[in-house]
Amino acid sequence: MRHARLELWSRGDTFAHRRHPAAKIAVALVFLICIATLKPGDWLVGACYFAVLCLLTLAARLPLRRILLAAAVVLPFATIFALFSLLAGAPERGLAIMGRAWLSALATILLMATTSQPDLLAGLESARAPRFLIQVMQFLYRYLLVLIQEGAAMRDAAASRAGKSPMLEFRRAAGAAGVLFARSWTRANAIHQAMTARGFTGHIPRFHTLTFTAPDLYLFTAVALPVIALRLLAR
Amino acid sequence: MHIPDGYLSARVWGATGAISAPAVVFLARRAQAKFDHHRVPLMGVMGAFVFAAQMINFPAGNGTSSHLVGAALLACLLGPAAASIVMTAILATQALLFQDGGLLALGANIFNMAIAGVFAGYLPFLLLKGSRAGLFLAGFCSLMTAAVLALAELWISGVAMPPAMLTISLAWFLISALIEGALTMAVAAALERIQPGCLKRPASGRRAWLVAGLVAVVLASCGWLIASERPDGLQSVALRAGIADRVTSLFAAPFGDYQASFVSNPALSRTLAGLAGLAVIYVLCIAISRALASGKREGA
Repeated sequence: MRHARLELWSRGDTFAHRRHPAAKIAVALVFLICIATLKPGDWLVGACYFAVLCLLTLAARLPLRRILLAAAVVLPFATIFALFSLLAGAPERGLAIMGRAWLSALATILLMATTSQPDLLAGLESARAPRFLIQVMQFLYRYLLVLIQEGAAMRDAAASRAGKSPMLEFRRAAGAAGVLFARSWTRANAIHQAMTARGFTGHIPRFHTLTFTAPDLYLFTAVALPVIALRLLAR
Repeated sequence: MHIPDGYLSARVWGATGAISAPAVVFLARRAQAKFDHHRVPLMGVMGAFVFAAQMINFPAGNGTSSHLVGAALLACLLGPAAASIVMTAILATQALLFQDGGLLALGANIFNMAIAGVFAGYLPFLLLKGSRAGLFLAGFCSLMTAAVLALAELWISGVAMPPAMLTISLAWFLISALIEGALTMAVAAALERIQPGCLKRPASGRRAWLVAGLVAVVLASCGWLIASERPDGLQSVALRAGIADRVTSLFAAPFGDYQASFVSNPALSRTLAGLAGLAVIYVLCIAISRALASGKREGA
C-alpha cells in the first residue's frame, strides 16, 4: 500500500520531522505555488527546485530513489498531455506540464513523508481549516484500510463463488456495495458508542501539544525565501 | 477526473480555490448543524466506504469493468452538505496519500466533484422525489457535471487538447456517466432492500435555495468557458463552439435557451459571464451571512 509506505517514512525523527506541521505545510505551499507558475523555458529554476527538494529529502534521511519513484506516479498521465502538446506543435509546453507535475508531486510526498497524519491534521487545524472537516478526515483515515480490506474480501468471495453472466455480476456487485454500506453504517454506530464510552465530545485529544518555535520559523525562512527568490529571478 | 498539479493556470486554480474554500467552510457549518458532533464517526466511515466501494468492480460490457464514484450516492444518503464534506475529505485524502489529484488543484477538484458534482447529483434526486429515475439522473448529472468542469478548466488553462481527443473524452465521460447512473440506482435499490428508509427522502422548502445554488454553479462554469480570452483566435473559437454546444446539450432543461443563445452572441456572453460572477458573489454572501447567523445561534 502506497500510503503505508508514507506512514512509515513519516515516523522518522530528524530536524525536518520534528518541525511544526504548519511550517511544513507553508513551505510546501510556497513550493507548489512557485512550481505551478513556472513557464516553459524556466528549466534552470526547475532544476534548482529539484535539487532543493532532493537535498531536503536527504536531510530528512528519506530514501531518495524511492521518493523520486513514488512521485513519478503522476508521469504516465502527464505524458499523454505532453504528447498532445507535441502534436499541437508546442513540445515545450508538454515538457513543462511533466516537469511541474513531477516536482509538485515530489513536494507533496516530501510533506507527507516528514509529517505524520495526526500532526498534519493538527497543523491544518491550527491554520483554521474547519474542525468538522478535519475530524471527518481523521475517521476516514482510521477506517480506510479496514473497509478496503472488507471490500477486497467480498470481491474475492464473489469471484470464487458467484455466477458468471454479466447481468448477474452487475446485480451481485450492487448487492456487495449495498452490504458494504450497511456494514459500514453498523460499524460507524459501534464506533460512536465506543467513543461515547470514552467521553468523546467532538474533539480528539492529542498526547503532545504542538507549539510553533524559533526552529520552525528558521526552517520556513531558510527554504521558502530562496525558493521565492529563485522564482522571481525567472521572470 | 482528478486534476494533478502542474496543469492548471494560476487564474484557474486561484479562482476555483477562492470559491471552494469559503464554500467548504460554509458547508462544514451546515453539515455540523444537521449532524451534531456525535455523527462525525459516521461521516468519516462513509468516506472510507466510498473508497472501499471503489474496490468492487462492476462489469461494463466488452470485458471492461467500472467502479462507483459515489458523489451522487452520498448526496442521496447523507444530504448535500454532509456529502460535500465527505467528498472533500475523500479528495484531500486522495491528494495527500495517493497523489491522486494535486494539492493546489484541490480547490478545482473540490469545486468539480465535491460541490458542483454533489449538488448536480442531489437536484434530480430532489426534483424527482427520490424515484428510480431520479437516482439514475443523480449519478449521471453528478459525473457529467464534474467531468465537463474538469475538461473546461484544463482547456481554459491552455492545456493542448486536440478536438478529436476532446470528442473522445466527452464520449468516454458520457458512457461513464450512464454507468454511474446505473450503479447509483442499483446500489440504492440494494440498500433499500437491506435497510429500508436509509435514503434521505427530500423535504420540500429547500428547493428554491438548491436550485439557486445549482444555477450559480452552472452559470459560473459556463461564464468561465466564454470569458476566457485565448490568444489563438479562430481555432479556439471553433473549439469553444464545440465545447459550448456539448455543454448545452449536457446541462439540458431550464438553462438550455440561455446557453444556445450566448454561443452566437459575444455581447450577451459577456453579460452572462458578469452575471455568473454576480451569482457566485451572491451565493458567497448568503453563505457568509448564514455562517455568521449560525455562529450567533451557537454563541447564544
